[in-house]
Amino acid sequence: MSSTLSRTALMVAMPLLCLLLSGCSQNSSDNPEADARPKVAYITNGIASFWTFAEKGAKDAAQEFNADVNIQMPANGVEDQKRICQDLLAQGIDGIAISPIDPDNQGDLLTEIGQRTNMITHDSDAPGSERLCYIGMDNYTAGRMCGELVKEAMPEGGSVMIFVGRLGQANSRLRRQGVIDELLDREPDENRYDEPSAGVIKGEKYTILDTRTDGFDFGKAKAQAQDAVAKYDDLGCMVGLFAYNPPLMLDAVREAGKVGKIKIVAFDEHDRSLQAINDKEIYGTVVQNPYKYGYESVRVLAGLARGDSSVIPENKILYIPARQIRNDNVAAFQAELQRLLSTEESEGTTNVVSEPAGDESP
Amino acid sequence: MKKNFGILGILLVVFIATAIGNPNFLTAYNMFNLLERASLYGIIGIGVAFVIITGGIDLSIGSLIGLVATLLPFIVVQQSFPLAVGLFAIFALSLCVGLTHGVLITRLKLQPFVVTLCGLMIYRGIARWIVSDKTMGYGNETFSGLKVMVGNLSQLPGMSGFSWAKHIPVAFLILLVLGVIASVFLNKTIYGRYLLALGRNEQAARFSGINTSVMIIIAYVICSVISGFGGLLFALDYGSIQPDSFGNFYELYAIAAAVLGGCSLRGGEGSIFGIILGAALMRLLMNSISMLGIDDQLEPAVIGIVILIGVMVDELVKRFAARRRAVKQAKVTTALPEVDA
Repeated sequence: MSSTLSRTALMVAMPLLCLLLSGCSQNSSDNPEADARPKVAYITNGIASFWTFAEKGAKDAAQEFNADVNIQMPANGVEDQKRICQDLLAQGIDGIAISPIDPDNQGDLLTEIGQRTNMITHDSDAPGSERLCYIGMDNYTAGRMCGELVKEAMPEGGSVMIFVGRLGQANSRLRRQGVIDELLDREPDENRYDEPSAGVIKGEKYTILDTRTDGFDFGKAKAQAQDAVAKYDDLGCMVGLFAYNPPLMLDAVREAGKVGKIKIVAFDEHDRSLQAINDKEIYGTVVQNPYKYGYESVRVLAGLARGDSSVIPENKILYIPARQIRNDNVAAFQAELQRLLSTEESEGTTNVVSEPAGDESP
Repeated sequence: MKKNFGILGILLVVFIATAIGNPNFLTAYNMFNLLERASLYGIIGIGVAFVIITGGIDLSIGSLIGLVATLLPFIVVQQSFPLAVGLFAIFALSLCVGLTHGVLITRLKLQPFVVTLCGLMIYRGIARWIVSDKTMGYGNETFSGLKVMVGNLSQLPGMSGFSWAKHIPVAFLILLVLGVIASVFLNKTIYGRYLLALGRNEQAARFSGINTSVMIIIAYVICSVISGFGGLLFALDYGSIQPDSFGNFYELYAIAAAVLGGCSLRGGEGSIFGIILGAALMRLLMNSISMLGIDDQLEPAVIGIVILIGVMVDELVKRFAARRRAVKQAKVTTALPEVDA
C-alpha cells in the first residue's frame, strides 16, 4: 500500500518537477547583464505565417538594441490576448507592443497595459487608447491598392467575393472598405462602412456579392471559398484579406477546375500565394512589411525603456508602406524574403543564446 | 473534503513551484488576476456539476455563454431597450434553454449528449445570425453598473475604506456565495440528496418515490441559468464579444473542472469544493506556464497531462482507501473469534 502511495506521489511530482526545472533553467540561462537589458513583449492578434516575419524582425531588433523580446501569439482571441498581457504585466515588463483584436471594446485592457508599462500598437491601431505610438500601414490605402489589383485582373468588370478572418478588428474593416471603395470608384473616406449584412453592393462595373468571415478557422475558410465557387456561377474574382485566405481560396478554385476563370487577389505574403503568383494562378497581392513591424516595435520599446522618447514620431504614427506584388516582381520579392529567412537560420544559434528559451514562440 | 486531497496537493505543488520559479507570481496584481479567472470558471463549473451529478452532461455551456454575451449588448445598445429588459431576457432565455434540455431528456428520453450537442450548434448559430457576426462590445456606459461584478471588492458600497478589499475580486465573492448555496442545497437539503441518489441509480431512486424527471429538469435549469450568469460575467470581463468564438470550449473547461474536482461522469458523486479547486488548478496551470516561461504552445498538453494525473491520483487514492477498509474489516473479523476463545 505504501508503495502505491509513493508511486502516486512520484507520478505527481515528476511532471511538476519538469515544469519547475524548465522555469528555473530559463532564469539561470540569463546572462549577467540581463538586468540592464529592457524586457519587452510583442503580442500578435493570432497565429499566422505572417507573424513569422514580424517575429524575425523583433528578434533582430532585440539583438541590435540589446533587449529581450517575448513574442506571444494568442490562439483564442480576445480572452487569450487579455490573459497573456496580464501575465506579462505581472512578470514585470518594460514595454508591450500589441495588435489589438477589437480596439473599440478592449479599452479596459489597453488602459491597464498603458498604466503599467509603455504600450504601442502595431498592425492594428487603437487611436482612442493610451498607446504611445502606432506602427503599421494605412490599412485603408492598402485596401484600395488591393482594389486596384482586382481592377487590373478583371478590367471588364464582374462580381467579387471578399474573405477575411475577422471583421471585428479595425485593420480588416479598413482593408475591406478600401477594396469596396476602390471598386466603386468612391472618394477616399476612412470612416465609411458598408455593413457586411447589407447584402450585395452594386457598382457601375463591379459587384461585391458578399464578405465571409471565418474567425481564423482554416477549415471553415476553405469551406466558405468552396461554397462561394459552388454558389455563384458567374463569380469573377475572390479577394482574401488575411494571409491564410488566398491559398485556401486557390485550393477551392483548383478543385472546381476554375483556375484562370475565377481570378484571385491576395493580401500578405503567404509563400503559397507568392508561388501561385509566380505560376499565374493568383493575379497579385498587397504586402505589408511585417518584418518592419516587429523590428520597429522592439526598437521603439527598447528606446522608451531607456528613457529615450525621441523614438516616437511627432504624430505618433510610424507608417510602414504597403507594396503591390504581381507576376513581374514576385521573384525579386521572394528572393528578398528568402534572404530574411536564411539570415534567421544562420543566426539561429546566437538567437538562442541571447534570449531566454521560453521566448521562442514561432 | 477528504476526497479532494489529491487535487489540493497538486494545486499546492504547482503553486509553490511557480512561486519559486518566478517571484513575481505572488504579486498582488497576479494573485488578483488568478483569483478572478479561477472564480469565473469555478462559477460555470458549479453549474455543470449539477448535471454531471445526475449522470448527464451539458455540452452547450460555451455556446449558451456566447449567445447570452452577444444578446445583452444587442438588446440594450443596438435595440435601445432598458438594461433591466436585457437582463430579464438573458435569464429567461437561459431558464428556457435548461427547461428544454431537461424536458427533451426526461420526456422524450433523448440522450443528454445528443440534446446538448445540438444545443451547442444551435445557440452558436443563433448568436452569429442575430448580430451578423459583428463584434459586440461592453465598453458602453450602460454597463458600468454591472461591471462592478468583475471589479474588486472596494468598488462595492461601504467597502472603499478597506485597503485589502482592492485585492479581492468581486467574482470571488460571487463564487463563494454561489458555492455555499450550491453546497448546502446538494448536501443539506432533501432535493440535493435526491439528485445524488438518482445519479447513482435512477431506477432505484424512482422506485423509492423520487420524481426523478422533475429533479433532472431542475438540474439542467440550474446548469443553464448559472451558465447564462457566467456568460454575463465573462462578457463584462473581456469587454469584446466575437459571436463566432466567444465561449468556445468553455463547456470542456467546466466539465474538466468538475471531473478534476471529484465528480464522476457516471453520476452520483461530486463536491462543490472540489469543483472550485478543479477550476482553480486549471487557471493556475495556465498562469504558471506563462510565469515559468514554458512555451505557450505546450499549454494544452500540460493541462491535459495534469488533468489525467489528477484523475489517476483520485482513482488510486480511492482504491487505497477501499483496500485499507477491507483490511480493517478482515482484521476485525479475524480478531473476533480470538476474543470469543
